[in-house]
Amino acid sequence: MMNPIVRITDLYKDFGPLRVLKGITLHVTQREVVCIIGRSGSGKSTLLRSINFLEEPTSGSVEVDGVEVNSQLDGRQRKQRIHQIRLLTGMVFQEFNLFPHKSVIDNIIEALVVVKKVPRKQAVQIGEMFLKKVGLIQKRDEYPARLSGGQKQRVAIARALAMEPKVMLFDEPTSALDPELIGEVINVMEAVANEGMTMLVVTHEMSFARDTADRVIYMEDGALVEEGAPSEMFSVPRDPRTSQFLQRYLSQHG
Amino acid sequence: MNVTEVPSAQSQAETDPLLSVRRLARSFGLKVTLVWLFIFGCGALAISLIRLNLAFIGDWWSFIVYGAGTPDVWQVGLVTTIFISIVSIFGAIILAFLSALGRLSRNPIAYGVSTFYVSLIRGTPLIVQIFILYFGLPQINQQLGKLIPNFELQFPLISNLLLLPALPTGILALALNYGAYMTEVFRAGIQSISKGQTEAARALGMTSGQTMWRIVLPQAVRVIIPPVGNDFIAMTKDSALVSVIGVQELLWRAQKVGVQYFHSMETLMVAAAIYWVMTIVLQAIQSRIERHLARGDR
Repeated sequence: MMNPIVRITDLYKDFGPLRVLKGITLHVTQREVVCIIGRSGSGKSTLLRSINFLEEPTSGSVEVDGVEVNSQLDGRQRKQRIHQIRLLTGMVFQEFNLFPHKSVIDNIIEALVVVKKVPRKQAVQIGEMFLKKVGLIQKRDEYPARLSGGQKQRVAIARALAMEPKVMLFDEPTSALDPELIGEVINVMEAVANEGMTMLVVTHEMSFARDTADRVIYMEDGALVEEGAPSEMFSVPRDPRTSQFLQRYLSQHG
Repeated sequence: MNVTEVPSAQSQAETDPLLSVRRLARSFGLKVTLVWLFIFGCGALAISLIRLNLAFIGDWWSFIVYGAGTPDVWQVGLVTTIFISIVSIFGAIILAFLSALGRLSRNPIAYGVSTFYVSLIRGTPLIVQIFILYFGLPQINQQLGKLIPNFELQFPLISNLLLLPALPTGILALALNYGAYMTEVFRAGIQSISKGQTEAARALGMTSGQTMWRIVLPQAVRVIIPPVGNDFIAMTKDSALVSVIGVQELLWRAQKVGVQYFHSMETLMVAAAIYWVMTIVLQAIQSRIERHLARGDR
């Protein structure tokens, strides 16, 4: 079996007295698309945000493409490795988080220029390439406030992809969108998956999980309850908690 | 519903609520202007009754405003006032920014220094701070001179700082004072930018410094500028306080002449009028900037 590109080992996260992640171990292989589903408050977003250290895990280790950060590590080395992991991962947020004071193209090239020190002219070329990829090259010079939610999220995906990460993290990328705008974002995500990107997707969009994911993980109460191929998970869930969640979910959302 | 009834043009004009509001506004503005003129007239009457010496104003206003007879630009009262205000507000902006960062920091030293500074400065009168800096610090210099042989020669920088002349002392006092008050403005401005902005920048690999300079501050500035403008206007007036340590700005000059010839009312009125005009001009500039910022919704 191939060496996993993401290796999460025995990860714990406490918010004060509340234990949100209870010893998560998860390996993701290269080119794999993993969907994490579960109720809100199950810890799935926290798990995703722990991978690039937007949340500091309380203990345990995170390894991305051979760069490992664990609780023994501290000081400068820890900082450096977190920085490395952030360069290896691209993140897409529920609320898009585009920079409102910068145009679409400047949103995309900001980190290329500032972090990767790519010359501006070259960065603009890279940015335009990714804008074409998400089908928004005509919005190159618009400001985010003039875009629809779906367009904003596509720009946000282009911004993350432009850094050429090895793993993409999606944190409920369609949850803030009007229903009619979800499709365009899903299409872009499917295209990214088809190009062989390793993806971890926290989502409530079951159709995406069913059609695109290689593996679906059901999370509850800070622990991984069940995982499997989408065909098994959605038709014959083994754990009663998973089937209860799916039943309730599907009865509510058709 | 009665569809056939089409109101005539005239009755439309009468019932159009916007139009009547506009008419009311115009007459309201006219009335207010009349009230202003009336108060002004009363003031002029009072002045003529107490027989203010207008010729005296004519002789001396130029000394107060720009120190006629002295070609040196730094002798000009109005220039000194504006100079003090501008340099002090820049000093205050830097102090307020650093102090706000301390206030937002989880580092206990940075947080402690910042909150102590704000509490001390906001808890004491500006005029006391000016006196301490000007009359108090030289005493420290004197004591250090007794403790350390050749103190002034060995540590010229510290000694010079403790013996600052009046003008830099005034600027320092105003900057320290306004920096403390503006700390909260900066803190609130920085905190008003959503956490998602910082997270997006950090996830892209930016350092906390790059995130602050390139993502958070440019957005916070739009929130910060209006209150800083207010503080600048307030500061042009508070700069009069540094006349107490002999900085030769507007008020100092007005007092100097007024007391000497027992015509303080005349000279103080000149000074007050200049502060007033300056404030009105600055307010006009500020509202223009605010309109510009509001327009930049993009």
